[in-house]
Amino acid sequence: MDHQYESLLAIGVLIPLIGFVILALFGHRFGKPYASYVAFAAIVISCILATWVLVGWHGTGDAARDELTKNAYRYHWGSMGDISIDVGVKLDSLTVIMFFMVTFVSSCIFFFSIGYMEGHSDEIDGQSKYHRFFCYFSLFAFSMLGLVVSSSLLFLFIFWELVGLCSYLLIGFYFDKKFASDAAIKAFVTNRVGDFGFIIGLAMVVLYLGTFDLDEAARNFSTDFYAGTGIFASSINLFGWQVSGMTLATLMGIGLFCGAMGKSAQFPLHVWLPDAMAGPTPVSALIHAATMVAAGVYLVARVFRLLTPDAQFFVAVIGCITLTITALIAIVQTDIKKVLAYSTLSQLGYMIFGLGVGAWVAALFHLMTHAFFKAMLFLCSGQVIEGCHHEQHITKMGGLRKKMPFTCWTFFVGVLAIAGFGIPWTHAGLGGFFSKDEILAVAYERTYNWHDTDAPSESHSATSEPPSVKAVSAPHQTHPPSETPEQHAGSIQPVRHAGSTAFTEGGSDDGIHGGTDDAHGGDHHATGTPKKTGIAATLPALPKWMFYLPIIIAYVTPFYMMRCWWLTFCGKPRDKHVYDHAHENWKMFVPLVVLAVGTVFCSYYVFRPLIHHAASGEMGATHTPAIVAFDGTAKTIADAGDKMMMTLTHDEGKDPHHALIGLVGFAWIIGIGIAWLIYRNGLAVGKRITQIWPISWCHRALVQKLYFDHVYDNVLVGGTIVLGAVAYLFDKIVVDGLVNLTAAFGRVIGIFTGRQLDMPVERYDIGLVDAIANGIARVAMGIGTVARRPQSGRIRTYVLIATGSVAVVLAAALIAGAAD
Amino acid sequence: MFPDEFYDFLLDGVLTIGLTHYLILSVLLFSLGILCMVTKRNAIGILIGVELVLNAASINFVAFSKYQTGGLDGHIVALFIILLAAAEAAIAIAIFMNFYNTLRTIDVDRGDELRL
Repeated sequence: MDHQYESLLAIGVLIPLIGFVILALFGHRFGKPYASYVAFAAIVISCILATWVLVGWHGTGDAARDELTKNAYRYHWGSMGDISIDVGVKLDSLTVIMFFMVTFVSSCIFFFSIGYMEGHSDEIDGQSKYHRFFCYFSLFAFSMLGLVVSSSLLFLFIFWELVGLCSYLLIGFYFDKKFASDAAIKAFVTNRVGDFGFIIGLAMVVLYLGTFDLDEAARNFSTDFYAGTGIFASSINLFGWQVSGMTLATLMGIGLFCGAMGKSAQFPLHVWLPDAMAGPTPVSALIHAATMVAAGVYLVARVFRLLTPDAQFFVAVIGCITLTITALIAIVQTDIKKVLAYSTLSQLGYMIFGLGVGAWVAALFHLMTHAFFKAMLFLCSGQVIEGCHHEQHITKMGGLRKKMPFTCWTFFVGVLAIAGFGIPWTHAGLGGFFSKDEILAVAYERTYNWHDTDAPSESHSATSEPPSVKAVSAPHQTHPPSETPEQHAGSIQPVRHAGSTAFTEGGSDDGIHGGTDDAHGGDHHATGTPKKTGIAATLPALPKWMFYLPIIIAYVTPFYMMRCWWLTFCGKPRDKHVYDHAHENWKMFVPLVVLAVGTVFCSYYVFRPLIHHAASGEMGATHTPAIVAFDGTAKTIADAGDKMMMTLTHDEGKDPHHALIGLVGFAWIIGIGIAWLIYRNGLAVGKRITQIWPISWCHRALVQKLYFDHVYDNVLVGGTIVLGAVAYLFDKIVVDGLVNLTAAFGRVIGIFTGRQLDMPVERYDIGLVDAIANGIARVAMGIGTVARRPQSGRIRTYVLIATGSVAVVLAAALIAGAAD
Repeated sequence: MFPDEFYDFLLDGVLTIGLTHYLILSVLLFSLGILCMVTKRNAIGILIGVELVLNAASINFVAFSKYQTGGLDGHIVALFIILLAAAEAAIAIAIFMNFYNTLRTIDVDRGDELRL
């Protein structure tokens, strides 16, 4: 079984596709409950395969895993010039764990949907939409799994578009309702904006790195960087515009990131996700919380090796803005699904921010834990909405704890998880506790410990300096003058030290400084002297606001989640009708319990080590120095082996569970506490607070979602309408004017000549010209009567006659040709 | 089991992709497009038929360019066809909208009068 894991994963991808085909062709015959069983069976088989792979992979040693990654099977599908297009499975820890996460969460949500959709799939035009829902869901599962396993950017892009399509179809599932079809179109169009950037980035990868394959692209990127060739050539002519290589590489990275901005709904393209809640709740859980929106984060993680420092900084800034504004908007939302939607946006912002600052492991770990608890939260909200007779406003709920205990307490687990529940100073807590804190810890390192000291320390041997300087300075000549002074400082001083941060780099085989560095890598570690080389040396330190905003939001997150939970489940019932109707259904709370157990247990000890391995394996397989992977636990470079990556081992003393405890350790208690203080007696206190002057002003702005929709409506939609109006006026005035002018001119001439030639002066017979004209007209009419018969005005007749005559002519020509 | 000629035919004529395969595909597409245009009464259906026919033409262009004439002329023409098809679809759909606004249907047989 040479390629056992690839085969299993590939089969796991294809099974939901089979389910989709069956449902698409015969779904309407299966009827209501049975159509869902097909989809559920398909995803469960995938999940079993994924578990099989995960268990097998878990039992494989690190070295063996790297071998498997390196030797993964590739099927040569075709060629585009010199560029080969291969189909294959990108087999590494990240794929394995993402695959498991997607199939597991999908299985839970599919099961939930069986119960949920019974009451939510009305008939349209006499046809049930029940099977259609599961048909789309299967297609989505197929495309998402395909996206996860793709080894080539091209296929990643294809599946990327497929998940976009599924998202569109499922948001617009209630397409007979105007808001749902509008939301679907909005989501689709907004995603196109992002994909526009993605396809430009993809084209640049193909053009300058000459490959579709992720690993090979990273390898070429690294080689080009050291050699100063390819995309890093000092001056590249782009349509007559001279760009320095570094800028071009940054543009490429930003282009690729644009795709992630669209799909992961990052600022300024975040507007579609809250509207996407118009779809059925399982769709929100699966696509718009757990998996598809995480695809953007996954993409950034995959192309992380192609991001230059500037591009990484851009990613971090976008993530930081997103996580801040969306968390603030979440505070004032009253629709239970909208609260969750904005909290999803905020968490996605955390992940993107984490990737941007280099917290690769932490960001992906956050993705995993978030998928579990956010899917659970959404399913809980689905249970609430179903139980409360399609009521979504938390202002009308309250006191549901007794009516739906399972939902209440699983929701509370989700609240704790997203709030980052954990006991400070210990390693005990839910997933969010570790992942969020780790992102913040890396941000802290990047903000405060990055420029700690530039002086070489005593232990730093002089011999090690020349190769590093050489390696770094060569590409630095290509720096455009427009770069920030900060970065110039970085490039002038290639060897830097951060007091508490150990930077190490493994061996390389590009020949320029490989052996030397490898030899000194252990030395540096042994003496505790950090250094940055390669692209990492140009990474700027983060501005302070990018560290403090996420900290503040870490306090806001528990607040709005607790507000949502308290208003829904605790206190007194505010709407009698809703309260009386509330009930639970076992088909729906069983997956909740499963996900809650998953949230609690399989976070830190299962996912975290595997993702960490994915980080080092990722780098190891490809020899890229461009990656700075921060890591909270890997202490030595030996952990990374001979891997050609920059591993930053951050100081245990700076571990957020210890050092940053004063800043974030108690955030969850404080946030939850404030929410409880304000909302424990219902809405009255909250309402009074919003009437205080400066808060009322902010409140209004937040309720209006910071006016993004208004701006887009007026500028983009309005602009298009104005453009249309201008075109219409041009058509009316200039084009029609010319035509009318010509016509008027002809008319005048006609009247004039008519008067000259045809003079019916007191005679009974008409003039000569009239007689001729009438005669011609009569003949024409006679011909017309005959000729109009075939002109039935029916397109099919015309097409038939046209093709028939062509066929006759063709036959005649062929026969004549044969006769010759 | 079969004579050698059969295997030669299978390998050279069927399994090795050549010009013929592209032409057969194109013929199929073209015929399906014509069939679609002739049988559909729905305007969108007819538009889809037209698109199929245009794509069949594109395939022919590219196939001949690859196997017969060489160069990139055929590819360029194919690109033009794609562009034209897009423009044509935009205009056609605008016409359908007006058609619908006038007649409250997009059944093209109802619009055989050239007047209101």
